[in-house]
Amino acid sequence: MKLITRSLVTTALAGCIGMSFTIPSWSEDITLNMAVPDWPPTRIMKRLFDEKYKAPSGNNVTLEVDFIPWPDYYTRLNASLTSGEQKYNMAVSDSQWLGAFIEGGYYRKLNDLIDADPELKATLDDMHPAPLQAYATYPYKSDNIYGFPQMPDILITYARSDVLCHPDEQAGFQEKFGEKLPCTPEELDGMDWDMFEKIGQFFQRKKGDMLMGEPAEDDFYGISYQAGKGYDFSSMQINGFLWQGGGSIWDETKIPDGQAEGVVNSDASVKAFEHYLRLLKYMPPVVKTGSMDIFKTDELFREGKTALNVQWIGFAESVINPDTSKVAGDVVFAAMPGTKQADGTINRTSNIGGQPFVIMTWTEDDKIKEAVDFVKWWLSPEIQHEFAAAGGQSAIKSVYNDPKYVTYRPWNRTWAPGLEWQQDVWHVPQFFELLVQQQEQYDLAITGKQDAKTTLDAIAKFQQQLLEDADLIQ
Amino acid sequence: MASIVGIVAVAISAFVLPVIATLWLTAAACALVAVTAVVNAWGRYTGGLLVAPAIAVLVVMNIFPLLWSLGLSFYNYRADRQTLSFVGLRNYERLITDPVVWDRLTTTALLVVLTVTVQMVVGFLLALLFSKQFPLRRYLLILVLTPMMLSYVAVGAFFRYYYDPTFGLVSQFANLFTDEPYVLISSTAGAVAAIVIADAWMWAPFVMLLVLAGLVSVPKYLYEAASVDRVPAWRRFQSITFPYVKGLLLLALLFRTIEAFKLFDVVFILTDGGQSTETIALYVYRQAIQFNKTSYSASLSYVLLFTVIVLTNLYLYLANRRAKEG
Repeated sequence: MKLITRSLVTTALAGCIGMSFTIPSWSEDITLNMAVPDWPPTRIMKRLFDEKYKAPSGNNVTLEVDFIPWPDYYTRLNASLTSGEQKYNMAVSDSQWLGAFIEGGYYRKLNDLIDADPELKATLDDMHPAPLQAYATYPYKSDNIYGFPQMPDILITYARSDVLCHPDEQAGFQEKFGEKLPCTPEELDGMDWDMFEKIGQFFQRKKGDMLMGEPAEDDFYGISYQAGKGYDFSSMQINGFLWQGGGSIWDETKIPDGQAEGVVNSDASVKAFEHYLRLLKYMPPVVKTGSMDIFKTDELFREGKTALNVQWIGFAESVINPDTSKVAGDVVFAAMPGTKQADGTINRTSNIGGQPFVIMTWTEDDKIKEAVDFVKWWLSPEIQHEFAAAGGQSAIKSVYNDPKYVTYRPWNRTWAPGLEWQQDVWHVPQFFELLVQQQEQYDLAITGKQDAKTTLDAIAKFQQQLLEDADLIQ
Repeated sequence: MASIVGIVAVAISAFVLPVIATLWLTAAACALVAVTAVVNAWGRYTGGLLVAPAIAVLVVMNIFPLLWSLGLSFYNYRADRQTLSFVGLRNYERLITDPVVWDRLTTTALLVVLTVTVQMVVGFLLALLFSKQFPLRRYLLILVLTPMMLSYVAVGAFFRYYYDPTFGLVSQFANLFTDEPYVLISSTAGAVAAIVIADAWMWAPFVMLLVLAGLVSVPKYLYEAASVDRVPAWRRFQSITFPYVKGLLLLALLFRTIEAFKLFDVVFILTDGGQSTETIALYVYRQAIQFNKTSYSASLSYVLLFTVIVLTNLYLYLANRRAKEG
């Protein structure tokens, strides 16, 4: 009996000791591999994850992030996906790639996960429709959801308040144009493209010319916006001009009846594109090379060579950081200029930026669960507020409508009003072919090789043929 | 026999079997040929067997991908769709009738002629300079050779800043005289010049190195004899120097022409094909990597390969003929 009792006690003890060793092993080590563009919003995300994220499942979840430079991001992600290496479970994808990668079978449809999770559904219901439709739906504006916003973004105006508010410059501008040079964020909010052009015309200073009451140390220019040949580094700005001027791009929501010819090269589009081209002559001379992309305009602004720059919000953090910007203490932010309408209002329709999270089709169930938990954590009000406070943006209405939101960063005041003006470019699988040809044609116009009409005619003809071949136009 | 069986089996399978089955059958045929060769050669060709691993690596890394891509060029395969159907010569027909391809080939030919000419001239002159002894020669030689050792991306990025109208040295220098920023890449001619200068800066030292090897091999007594006979400098160069470096010059010309035909990196970074400088290599990259038109880009690559092979053989023919004449 003693022997039996001793055996039972020993077994029980061994069991308990064994249990104490096996309990921790119930929490699994799970790694989410994610491809992301290398810029502040994704760096902030990684930092917040490492500092704060605890998986609700109790698993030990790590986020392995591949930071890929923006100009190479599409080709690197495309190469990874099409090679079949299945390296990534998730990616921060540009919204325009949705069609290509969904049709290719790489991005997972998320409706089932959303329907099964009321909390996630409520979050998406609380989202502004513009970013949600742009980042998540395919076909565009359908009910099929493929993404969750990671960093929503819009184009805004970065302005040098020290230059614009200087009394000498104010007086000079008043004398030349009989108008006040906008200087405060509120004044700059009211700026249309005509005023933008005047500022470009006014600040054409050579080295040694007077600037802010002193001889300029280097050439100085009034305005800049993207006009580069690479990726979408002119289309994103030109689309805004087209929409504001009553023109249009090929509208994918009108498949199969929507045409390219007659729309892309309509009279209104040509006029709007001419407006875009007309302003280039006031910009830094690098614009003539076709390489004035968003990185070059950012560099020129941070180096103190321009007074105004139209740029994505995602770049703003580095502009106010003294370590990376010579003008860190002298920058204010305002809405992107727009086109003044007959009734005096300003049309600011613009191409939305920003990117969604996507989940790959080959991701295993346990990782999908962790990925969804991670996305829910990311979209939770607390983290969205922290992201916004660190320099990011939120597409969630209850977050960005919170009065605290505009106090986080000087550009946040432009966010909620700007969201109302956003539209997106195409999401169809032929996106990249459409874009490359368009960028090549725009580049010819930007560098002075052909006029606006020839350019848009060539684009319209190419798009009509390509989209007819793909049965997207009948 | 095994080779014939392998080739026939692979050819038939390409038409009747699915892709994966063809892949495995090709691999099996290669293995069969390899095993047969080893068994037949064992004891008789030990030397050959010893180099067999290296040849196997060559086959796996070069020959097989080449044949695979050649096969793909007869299909309409797209990397992002994984669907496949046989289209015969349609891709080749399409590219021959595509004016864009001819435009890119013309641009490439122009850049090949210009970059190679500049490299040969500059390289030759540098070699003549460094064939003489002068103070600090060794250190200057190291400096001159440095660009050749840099990566294409570094050279492209360097020259991009070098030509930048706002920050670049070229513009700053021109500004001293003209009071205007100088924008080199604002026209096709300027963009071509920018590419030619960057590529020549990188590769002229390579030509110099080869020519220098020829120059230092010229026996000194020939120059001494010519000096005694008071032979003019140009005649000395024509009769003594040039014959010694001719073969190496031709070799440099061959290497640089082949490389110039594949010109990609510097163009990609400096102009991204803008200002009408898109080369055929950049065009192939767009078709393959950005548009996922795998089969079409494979057929384009084969046209490029064929052009380079024809040129190479032309050079070799000329070199052999001159050697026989010599």
